[in-house]
Amino acid sequence: MNVDQLIQKLHSDPAFMENVTSWTTLPASEGKYVDFPSSLDIKIRDVLHQRGIHRLYTHQAESFQAASEGKDFVVVTPTASGKTMCYNLPVLSAILKNPDARALYLFPTKALSADQASELYELIEALGVDVKAYTYDGDTQGAARKAIRQAGHIVVTNPDMLHSNILPNHTKWVKLFENLQYIVIDEIHTYRGVFGSNLANVLRRLVRLCEFYGSKPKFILCSATIANPDELAKILTGRDICKIDNNGAPMGERHFVFYNPPVVNRQLGIRRGVVNETREIAGTLLANAIPTIVFAKSRLQVEVITRYMKEQARDPYGFSGRVRGYRGGYLPSERREIERGLRSGEIDMVISTNALELGIDIGSLTACVLCGYPGTIASTWQQAGRAGRRKDTALTVLIASSAAIDQYIVNHPEYFLAQSPEHALLSPNNLYVLLSHVKCAAYELPFEDGESFGNVPDTAQFLDFLTESGILRHVGGRYHWSAEDFPASEVSLRSASAENFIIIDISNPAHHRVIGEMDRYTVPMLLHENAIYMHEAKQYQVEKLDYDTCKAFIRAVDVDYYTDADLNVSLAVLDELKEKVLRNNVGVTLGELKVTTIVKIFKKMKLDTHENLGFGPVRVPETDMHTVGMWWTVPKSISDKYTNDDLQGALMGITNLMCIVAPIYLMCAPRDIKVIYQVKAPETDLPTLFLYDQYPGGIGLSEKAYDMQELLLEHALSIVENCPCENGCPSCVGPESEVGENGKGYAKRILKELIEACQA
Amino acid sequence: MPGLMDKLRMIDSATKTQVKQTDRQPVPSETQSCYHRSDRFPISSFCDFRHMSPQILGEIYPLQFPKNIKPSDMLFLDTETTGLSGGAGTIAFEVGLGYISGDHFVVEQFLMRDYPEESVLLKEIEKFMQRFPVLVTFNGRTFDIPLLQNRFLMNRMKDIHPSELHADVLHAARRVWKLRLGKCTLQRLEQAVLGVSREDDLPGELVPQTYFKYLKNGDFSPIEKILEHNRQDVVSLAQLFFFLCKLYDRPDIANEPIDLFAIAKAMEKHGQVCKAKKCYRLAAHGQQRASAFSALAAQEKRGGRTDAAIKLYAAMLTRGDDPVSACEGLAKIYEHQLSDPEQALVYTRQALLLLSEPSITESETVQSNRNALQYRYARLRRKIASDAKA
Repeated sequence: MNVDQLIQKLHSDPAFMENVTSWTTLPASEGKYVDFPSSLDIKIRDVLHQRGIHRLYTHQAESFQAASEGKDFVVVTPTASGKTMCYNLPVLSAILKNPDARALYLFPTKALSADQASELYELIEALGVDVKAYTYDGDTQGAARKAIRQAGHIVVTNPDMLHSNILPNHTKWVKLFENLQYIVIDEIHTYRGVFGSNLANVLRRLVRLCEFYGSKPKFILCSATIANPDELAKILTGRDICKIDNNGAPMGERHFVFYNPPVVNRQLGIRRGVVNETREIAGTLLANAIPTIVFAKSRLQVEVITRYMKEQARDPYGFSGRVRGYRGGYLPSERREIERGLRSGEIDMVISTNALELGIDIGSLTACVLCGYPGTIASTWQQAGRAGRRKDTALTVLIASSAAIDQYIVNHPEYFLAQSPEHALLSPNNLYVLLSHVKCAAYELPFEDGESFGNVPDTAQFLDFLTESGILRHVGGRYHWSAEDFPASEVSLRSASAENFIIIDISNPAHHRVIGEMDRYTVPMLLHENAIYMHEAKQYQVEKLDYDTCKAFIRAVDVDYYTDADLNVSLAVLDELKEKVLRNNVGVTLGELKVTTIVKIFKKMKLDTHENLGFGPVRVPETDMHTVGMWWTVPKSISDKYTNDDLQGALMGITNLMCIVAPIYLMCAPRDIKVIYQVKAPETDLPTLFLYDQYPGGIGLSEKAYDMQELLLEHALSIVENCPCENGCPSCVGPESEVGENGKGYAKRILKELIEACQA
Repeated sequence: MPGLMDKLRMIDSATKTQVKQTDRQPVPSETQSCYHRSDRFPISSFCDFRHMSPQILGEIYPLQFPKNIKPSDMLFLDTETTGLSGGAGTIAFEVGLGYISGDHFVVEQFLMRDYPEESVLLKEIEKFMQRFPVLVTFNGRTFDIPLLQNRFLMNRMKDIHPSELHADVLHAARRVWKLRLGKCTLQRLEQAVLGVSREDDLPGELVPQTYFKYLKNGDFSPIEKILEHNRQDVVSLAQLFFFLCKLYDRPDIANEPIDLFAIAKAMEKHGQVCKAKKCYRLAAHGQQRASAFSALAAQEKRGGRTDAAIKLYAAMLTRGDDPVSACEGLAKIYEHQLSDPEQALVYTRQALLLLSEPSITESETVQSNRNALQYRYARLRRKIASDAKA
């Protein structure tokens, strides 16, 4: 059967359709083309003709035009729409015109850098000109580094390398900085939260150095479809950015199927495991040799699914090569091999973690199966974008797991398919982040009196503070770096504070490796002893957490459960920034909080079904953190109707709902925010629901939550109203055993009253 | 409500330093001078300059020196910096320059008393570097010169274009003394080779913080120690430079056979077979005898003088100097040069027997030697067997 026939068959199969919560068909769309711009270099035109490209898509032509007009712009089009041409064409044109011109390309991961670089090399080779494009990252050999610094026209790198290696040693990169014309940043939607806040500051440092060397580079950015790509671009770069989003790439008919495995235990709300469901559906596709990609969320899942599929694919000779498992960490050559196999038809199915999501070209497949919700809508579209040759039909099946967020998504397809509500949020002026980068910037180039960093108005105060600390010396109208250390090495782009824990993998006793860092506020939650920690989709167990040396020792494991730490939190309000008083004295406030966290126990939860398997103790010291949060205050007129126990259950239920809803709308990971309730808040004695950023200084999430608080309440209500469970389950207010038999009902009532209070 | 400064103080309490900023005499920003000091040393403390010739220099350093090179053409340079990273925020706050003038060795030191004096300091250095055709440093190729180039750039001055004739004594010194001394810091070389010991010297790691302290409180006396330290560095650098010339010209002055062995290897690598041979012979004493003889034998074999090589290996066997290597060397010669696999087998067996003696301490090297010999043994037997058939 081909895919069209298979789609018909599934559609008419009642057993299958019973579990389908929605089936959306997007009609095919024609490509929108524009003739090659007259200013496009003849050599480039020839190469494109050779590749069978005789016209550009509208968005590619518009990008070329915008670049030639010297504009900063962001291209917002789906995957596989030829986005790379939007930056490669302007950059190569500029270099062909002026051999001294330089460009810097930033990609979020090394794998993506390597792949884009090799695509660029092919293009350059086909052009037959002396344009040098190189990857400069941690793997680049010493001898090559010097050559790249001096001669590279296009330097391809990642944010960490730019931050800790290139910028602090900028005197070795004179040619690049003096002649920089373009800064290309791909996948900017990944630069949100803490990472985005840090990158925005790295870009401030970059632009500052360009000013020192006399160059005025323009930004070319690319983003997946989110609600606020131009806002994000503006915050990241500090400039007005024009948006290019008229996608001209043609698309075949696309089918989106949302599939929810049936419930097998009604009381606990447990459904059939997502891996087994994936096996069935992928199995059908494989049996019909339909080129498919399966995305799973962990390496373990990838390995399990791959095993199942290979078993099915095994031919009489024992060969199962048409099914391939793939994960990050593969060499470019191995990835090339898989890509070739897919294009030639030797490989029918690839099973992968998110590693393949980011723009890497693996030819086009016909079907995509998502084992569990990837976490954001943008990710989902990017993964679904894998499926679909230009004019042919494509099928994407999203299979929900029992996780509350999966359940929400699969029951609210409109959230997914309508205009994206996901806002990428970040906070470049978070004090912790900003201070770290002002330090780095001061090391790179002394600040002059009156100079401001980016558009930060209080720069002088930061500098005076650093002078007071003895790190800078203010003399002769300048602030000079006056300390021995090298500040960039202490700043991790993925955390807000400078006090990080180092994560060390001790699986190989002969060779301990440092695999990452974590800021100390998140450590008690994720790296307590015996926690199961996921890193790059692989599982580890924490063996030892050493607070004296700030090190966490972990060992690779293969288990079927994950852990979830239970926090006891006490809050103190430090400052109130904004306040709304709604009807009936319902209060909504945004402010600064001091959060003291005590982690006492952790839960073990089965991976597939999220059943509770047991508990364990956690022994970590109390942690204090200052951050930004918002809170709802429930007045006596609403709360007096309930007994203390009932009130507790209802608030717990609303907390659970908010934990499901907020990350979806704030486009963050569930652990980026924390929601807690207090039956009697110390300052007011009133029941209060808090939502705060889990990063010191805040990263913009609570601020957004404050602005959209009514929407959050409404969506929370809709979850609990539409949940088929009787008196509570993990997908809405939480299990009945936790919220009590009235918990669900009362949570609904209180939410309704809060929403009423919002009506003017 | 806490202000910005209070908030910052709460965040970053870890980076408080002890030293308070006092009312130091401020340095005007349009300053025209920096600290400068000049010292002279009698030339007698340096070794004979006759040993320095363009030829000898060409053997020590990978450079081509002009025919009329003189000792007074050398500029010896060493810096004191605020850190080792060499990034944009590291500065060379002091530069020591040494050169020969008449009967004296002069050391001139320039120091910036505060940041505004840096550009003056750099201009002075630039003048010096333009006067002398040859630059001599200790690890300057990797560190000091790139750092100075950074500083010129950061001060918006044109690049200094340092002399192509830049002799980095560190690498030359390692070739000679690393075998004996291990780590070749200037201080270790000073002690072990020049016989100089410093009293009450300031340890290198304390230099940056000493300078920062001075910037804050204006107390110059600790800086005097830094200057003294740097002065001695420049003098030792020069003495070492000329001593190396003497050593390459007259290897017989070397006290330690191990040094001679190292020099011989360096010379051999550089293509000076005759000089290397002489050095190997000089090195053939005590613990070095075995390795010296082995190297000489290998040389003779490469030069086609099979008999001479055999004699050397035989001498090693007689004296019990590394007999295993000697047997292996003989086995190779008999197999390849003399086409006598049976005799080669005899020597291979002998080597294996030696390696199985109870006095041998097991190690990875021993095991891998044994494996190699066993492999050779088996191969020779096969060769002999197949020759017999033919």
